[in-house]
Amino acid sequence: MANIIVEVCSGTHCVMLGAMNIIDSVHSLDEIRHDMDQCCEVEVRAVPCMGLCKGGAQGPFVRVDGLLIKGGESDSVMAAIMDRCAQSQDT
Amino acid sequence: MRGLFTSITKIRRQVFTEVARYAFERDLDNSDFNFFYESSYRIIPGEVATYRDSVFKERAIIRERIRLAMGLPIRPADTHQPLTKGMAESATADKLLEMPLINVIPFACEACATDHFQVSDNCRKCLAHPCTGVCPVGAVSIGKTASVIDQDKCIKCGRCKEACPYQAISRIGRPCAEACGAKAIGSDALGRAKIDQDKCVSCGLCIVACPFAAIADKSEIFQLVTAIRTGQTVFAAIAPSFVGQFGPLATPGKVVAGIKALGITRVIEVGWGADIGSLHEAEEFLRDVPDEKPFLGTSCCPSWAMFARKEQPGLANCIAQSHTPMVAAAQRIKQEHPDARVVFIGPCVSKKMEALEDEVRPYVDYVITYEELMGLFAARQIELNELKEAPLMDYASRDGRNYAVAGGVAQAVVNVIQETAPGREVPVMKADTLHECRKMLALAKAGKVNGYLLEGMACPGGCVGGPGTLSQISRASKSVAAFAQASSYRTASDNPLDQEVLPIAPG
Repeated sequence: MANIIVEVCSGTHCVMLGAMNIIDSVHSLDEIRHDMDQCCEVEVRAVPCMGLCKGGAQGPFVRVDGLLIKGGESDSVMAAIMDRCAQSQDT
Repeated sequence: MRGLFTSITKIRRQVFTEVARYAFERDLDNSDFNFFYESSYRIIPGEVATYRDSVFKERAIIRERIRLAMGLPIRPADTHQPLTKGMAESATADKLLEMPLINVIPFACEACATDHFQVSDNCRKCLAHPCTGVCPVGAVSIGKTASVIDQDKCIKCGRCKEACPYQAISRIGRPCAEACGAKAIGSDALGRAKIDQDKCVSCGLCIVACPFAAIADKSEIFQLVTAIRTGQTVFAAIAPSFVGQFGPLATPGKVVAGIKALGITRVIEVGWGADIGSLHEAEEFLRDVPDEKPFLGTSCCPSWAMFARKEQPGLANCIAQSHTPMVAAAQRIKQEHPDARVVFIGPCVSKKMEALEDEVRPYVDYVITYEELMGLFAARQIELNELKEAPLMDYASRDGRNYAVAGGVAQAVVNVIQETAPGREVPVMKADTLHECRKMLALAKAGKVNGYLLEGMACPGGCVGGPGTLSQISRASKSVAAFAQASSYRTASDNPLDQEVLPIAPG
């Protein structure tokens, strides 16, 4: 069973711009994936400030299995996870 | 949109951060405030509209939001006034805020239709058309292509909606008015939302309900920062719902450390004031119910207390006389430190209103929300996770900390009553949101809650559902429960209370 790791930057800048809501939306996928018979596990990790905002880029910053998403929103992060799940089903 | 992060949340927080940034960075002796003309371009960059039909309108709305965040009134749209009008005077450590606290930015309002039933193109104009048959006032007829509802006749019973096999009839109204349990939202001449200030009890739920970001409250962050920067001693009193609001890694000790990093001297728990409130309300209940008063309503939520007094003036004396926990905590600080300024930090817009009352003004200098505090952290680039945890002391009991969640207040009072008068039965009724509170008050008027303790809360789920929060209600409730369990005092009576005004983190 594939294990997808989602790291959500939980520094001040990212929390202010919705990091907690991204974590909530990743958790909300559990039910949908169960209904879709996707058997990959998604593990969400709240990680300390990744330091990327200091260079002026806009958060929240999220890594889905290492793939960096800048300016992450619930929809883009959920879509990236669903993509990864689908890929791991195929292989 | 509660619990979701939308463009509106983002804009609101960006505005707080801009105002906080300038408050911290400006030259105290020579401020020109032109910074704020540029703010609207920083928040809305480029030439193409991002959120609305016009980039100019987007920036115009940002400018009014900035004024509100400075504690200033919005400007009329029909006369010329510079953005910076009044800003020099607002750069003070004194209280500046004036009613109205909650403001519709008229040109941001999209004038949504008021509450009505509407037929959608799901309607098949079916043979059975049960919608017409169930209508008790003959308001539904079959038109050329679909059912038609005569809005003048419709009494909004909803039967047609229930009967339709195609879900073609829906009830639709203004999100702001629907969120408003005080029924304070009407319309101006152009059909835009207008708040009836006589009815409004400043709960602030319309702010987070409006999908067009047309409603905002005033803030005191600028005056707070001015106080800090001019070397005044500032104490923060933080509401029990603060745990879990600032991100998964921001433990209570780190949040306190962050507040101190802003230049605030000490942080104390408002939960301590909640314990005082529980003792007073238990005493009042045992003394007055049922002989003097048929029931007792809790008083910690100012919007609920004000709503109850307006809605049922005849029962006004049945709302507990005790101060809110905020005031109890602030009084204690001012007793021991008369020169200190007090900022209340909470989830609540309603406390901003309470702090304007004559009896409360001397104790509470500023009220800010968690969201506004987050703006201050962001402006100062304070990484909570990198700070050393401030050591927390037991300042509030488990029950005092549980004031943050619906049901917690009544439970705290009941526990004290039962410790004082073992065996005394206390029936409890509770309501969260003013819609539910209205129903509870109707039962009270009808004499159906005699002998009861009534807990009223304006926000859904209690304070954790306040308009100034950042965390989802369910997750925040869990964090509050864990923090409450960590207190070594169980109930308000267990709390020695006479602790010197020591912070949850010593200064």
